[in-house]
Amino acid sequence: MIPIEETAFEMLKQYIESLRRYFANEEGRDEIINDIESRIAELFSERLKKGAICITDEDVQAVMASMGRPEDFDAETGTAANGGTNTGTGPQQQSTSQQSQSTGGSYSAGPARGRLVRNADDKIIAGVCSGLANYFHIDPVIMRIVFVVLLFTGGSGLLVYLILWVAVPSQSIQSNITKRLYRSSEDKVLAGVCGGLAGYFNISTWVPRLIFALPLIIGLLSGPFNWWWGDMDFWIGPRIVTGSLGSTLFVTYIVLWIAVPIAVTAAEKLEMRGERVDLNSIRDTVKEDLEGFRSRAQNWGNDIKQSAQQLGTQAKQFTQSERVKTFTTEASTAARGAGSGIAHILGVLFKAFFLFIVGMIALALFGALVGLVFGGVPVMAFKEFLLEGFWQNSLAWLTVLLFLGVPIIALITWLIRRIMGVRSRNHYLGYIFGTLWFVGIASAALLTGSVFRSFKSRNFVEENIAMAQPANGKLYLDVASNSINYRYYSNDWFDWDSDWPLFGANLDSIMLNTVRIDVVKSNDNDFHVTKVKFSRGKDPVTARNLAEKINFSTSQVDSVLYLPKGFSISKGERWRAQQVLLILQVPLGKRFRLDRSISKYDWFDVRYNHRGGLDIEDNWERTYWVESGKEYIMTPDGPKQVSKLDVEALKRGEYKERDKDDDNEEANQERIERRKRNNEEPAVTDTTGGYRYRKQTPANKTDSTTPAKAKSATASANENDEGQSTTLFSSSFASNKVSTR
Amino acid sequence: MRKGILEFCILSIIRRGEAYPSDIVDEMRGANLQILEGTLYPLLTRLKNAEMLTYRWVESNSGPPRKYFSLTPKGEEFFKELETTWNELANAVNTLASKRESLVSSAGPGTITDINEFPTETTQPNN
Repeated sequence: MIPIEETAFEMLKQYIESLRRYFANEEGRDEIINDIESRIAELFSERLKKGAICITDEDVQAVMASMGRPEDFDAETGTAANGGTNTGTGPQQQSTSQQSQSTGGSYSAGPARGRLVRNADDKIIAGVCSGLANYFHIDPVIMRIVFVVLLFTGGSGLLVYLILWVAVPSQSIQSNITKRLYRSSEDKVLAGVCGGLAGYFNISTWVPRLIFALPLIIGLLSGPFNWWWGDMDFWIGPRIVTGSLGSTLFVTYIVLWIAVPIAVTAAEKLEMRGERVDLNSIRDTVKEDLEGFRSRAQNWGNDIKQSAQQLGTQAKQFTQSERVKTFTTEASTAARGAGSGIAHILGVLFKAFFLFIVGMIALALFGALVGLVFGGVPVMAFKEFLLEGFWQNSLAWLTVLLFLGVPIIALITWLIRRIMGVRSRNHYLGYIFGTLWFVGIASAALLTGSVFRSFKSRNFVEENIAMAQPANGKLYLDVASNSINYRYYSNDWFDWDSDWPLFGANLDSIMLNTVRIDVVKSNDNDFHVTKVKFSRGKDPVTARNLAEKINFSTSQVDSVLYLPKGFSISKGERWRAQQVLLILQVPLGKRFRLDRSISKYDWFDVRYNHRGGLDIEDNWERTYWVESGKEYIMTPDGPKQVSKLDVEALKRGEYKERDKDDDNEEANQERIERRKRNNEEPAVTDTTGGYRYRKQTPANKTDSTTPAKAKSATASANENDEGQSTTLFSSSFASNKVSTR
Repeated sequence: MRKGILEFCILSIIRRGEAYPSDIVDEMRGANLQILEGTLYPLLTRLKNAEMLTYRWVESNSGPPRKYFSLTPKGEEFFKELETTWNELANAVNTLASKRESLVSSAGPGTITDINEFPTETTQPNN
């Protein structure tokens, strides 16, 4: 323990601090400071031995004088860059610096320390950033990045820059930075940004790489998880992190890529790592690069040997080092000049964009593959239903493997190679992967084409459902709540109820509920239900066969017609967009009601192209849409909800009648109905009273009889102007009509 | 200037025997070469990192332990190189400084023109 006065201690502390700052960039800084402190301690103990009670200010001052102050170091030693010396042979040639002697070269003593000047040597626009960086003893590149960021966030950077440009004088100062931020040219995966950063901060390379890659990885991982459990709030946290942080880091990476120059020469590489740029360290660096640069290293070696021999020479040493220094400055300026051109920025942006797109594509493929793998088990089952034949199956496998798998493997291989720094000479692997991937694309295209071909034709089968007329003139349609014939899985897992057309699945058949119920006015006084089954196939015959196979059987109990929840398709038939259309024909004045559960059916579009010659819509009069769960009564204007109608009027049965005076309305109605109605059926006399008989209109009148009128249909038969458009419907209707009697 | 020379001097001193920094400073001051201790320590550390020097700790009862430096074989080599360089430099300087004859100039006395121009018959000065 050394007793020391407080003021003396303060002075000492400041002195040590100044030494610390002075040696900030020195390699053995800590050791030097320790040595100096030990020496100071020694000096102090000597003093104490000589009789002093405690160390005073004068003692500290004396020690400081003996050891020397940082400013004196420069003056005394002079460095490689600076040729001046106090005790030497008078003022020497200066370097390009016009400052006083104290401008240190590699040490951090700046230009008349404390003065802010613009750097005339190292300038992109006006040397503002460089001068500022000099003042703060940091890398100009960092300063520039800061300015660019300020520029983009509000433009304040521009204003500050302009002010500084005008106000701060420009001077040619020597750069006093030993450690600049460069991008590494050897240690790079994409652009050496992480490598350069690692060198600047003296950390391992994988650390910045991990920091940049981490949001990406988390995003990747959380992606499939979000798909799995969409409601889990747990993942909101990482998503916030990855969302904003990921994009920030991404932008940062791009900015650094553009702004930070790449260290190419040995001098720059040394600067990147913060080592002193003198001939010895250059020699060492060059030795590191010896692998690819044998001959160049030899020349260097010769040069260095020569220069080492001239080491003591003032002039020679100065010129040599001056050359190195100016070369470094010039080269770095030139490199930065070339690097900061617009072309470079554009090039980088393009590269980044391209990489981004490629990354997205890779991610998408990866996601598809992962989805396929995870959903593999059910997909396997469905594969049977979709694909048919040997070719389709094998194509599918091929597609999955090549189109999806190959890029993944290639990407993984490339990543591993990059991370481990392995460089392979041959690019055969790349070509092989590329070829395989193209084959995968081809097979995917073939597969798609083949599958589409299986869906090309559409055909239907329709049959009439035998039914007994309900006793009280009201028909209910309900969905059978128990499907004893079918066993199916609960479909909650994949949330099929809302998303998928599927209804259930078991081992060798799946259930579809693409069922639709249309309501039309009956031609006669009876309820009729026609069932039309649709299917697709690779040709009409196949389609028709498949349609035939649809099993959708109804059963009637009193006035309730039970419909199954869906229809099943077996593996042998395959899924070919099978649909079932029920046409419910309701006579005028009768009521019907569709149970609520009918809404569970999956609606589909029946409108069909006219080219196929099947105009389902046109064959019937306009179909009506009814709400499920409500009771309707069929009026001449279509079904109307019973609850909305006047109760009294209902009772009186007014709605069965047609208002004779309301000709216009009728005309409208009839115009709608006129197409392709074949009313050859014999007139059915209805048993219910109150029907108005309408006089038969002359044949040339295009009004066809309204369907509510059950009468001799002879006149209406003539209404068919388009004779050939009598289609299967009408004929079967006619025939069936008779049979269901 | 003096950094290269200083290193030469330091190596010369240490070459003669184990020395610790304070000794080195004293020696130099004795030879009329003013140096600050603060200059010495960085140089020593650098030389040590470049494996020219090695040191060992010696306990002392009058304060903290001291580092005693000695020369390594590599340092010995380096010293020889520096010595050669120094000698060359010294010789060159001495030669130039001791020359007495006047420089030959193509123009007349008092005017200095193109130094590279060789003197010809017609322009020989008549001194």
